[in-house]
Amino acid sequence: MDEYQSGEETAFIVDEISGIIKESIEAAIGGNAYQPSRVSQWTTSVVELCLSQLTKLGKPFKYIVTSVIMQKNGAGLHTASSCYWDNNADGSCTVRWENKTMFCIVSVFGLGI
Amino acid sequence: MSDVAKDKAARLLRKTGSFSSLSSYDVKVKESRRKQKDSMSTVSYMDDPGHHDDIPRPTQQMENTYQLYPTKYFPGATVNNILKDVLPSYLQEEKYEPELCRQMTKTISEVIKARVKDLMIPRYKIIVLIHIGQLNEQSIRIGSRCLWNSNTDTFSSFSFCNQSLFAVANVFAVYFE
Repeated sequence: MDEYQSGEETAFIVDEISGIIKESIEAAIGGNAYQPSRVSQWTTSVVELCLSQLTKLGKPFKYIVTSVIMQKNGAGLHTASSCYWDNNADGSCTVRWENKTMFCIVSVFGLGI
Repeated sequence: MSDVAKDKAARLLRKTGSFSSLSSYDVKVKESRRKQKDSMSTVSYMDDPGHHDDIPRPTQQMENTYQLYPTKYFPGATVNNILKDVLPSYLQEEKYEPELCRQMTKTISEVIKARVKDLMIPRYKIIVLIHIGQLNEQSIRIGSRCLWNSNTDTFSSFSFCNQSLFAVANVFAVYFE
């Protein structure tokens, strides 16, 4: 009766997602040096670019995209996430990117509907 | 220049142990070199061995409940109180130390997840995200965007700082239709 499309169309494919994230980061902030006045706009553009590329995949997922941009100053940063979900349907991917003046960490969580 | 990049890559790979979610699954790290040598990116994800190679969807088929909306909505205020309670109690007296904070992030995220699960809100998936960092006169910006159903899904956020460290906690709750 109800035929759920299982298989490729409903899997969270990490390689594909990580490629998308890397391209979005490069497009939004690649080649820029850290500037306090622009960083707010950068986080927004990284996240929105990621999200729009993810929606174009057309998969039945809800997405949560988080980005952290930090200036390189010798300070340490730890991030952890804990998730209560269905391992078969959901997945996450985290990409760390850096250049000479800043770090950018983008996490994407995809939850199957 | 490429030697410096290789050293950095080696150092990063050795350090990736500190950048993993607490789970019993393997953490795989792939490293890709960019053509422009002034930026570098690393990917890490948690994956069940053979996760995507299995027959997809081996779970049993559930019957439709024909339920469109949740019977009980996610209580954002209660979760806010949980965060306000947990973060200061774990971090008030602590000083930033790499090993301590590595354990602390994993512990705190598990604790918050457990307390939110205790609220027993049915059909909600929970994601808890914790960032703990050193205060070193630097600037940091954390942003997130979500593609979801804003009638049923929500998030909670709290930030805390003391003399030597800051902590930011985000809890996302997504309804499972």
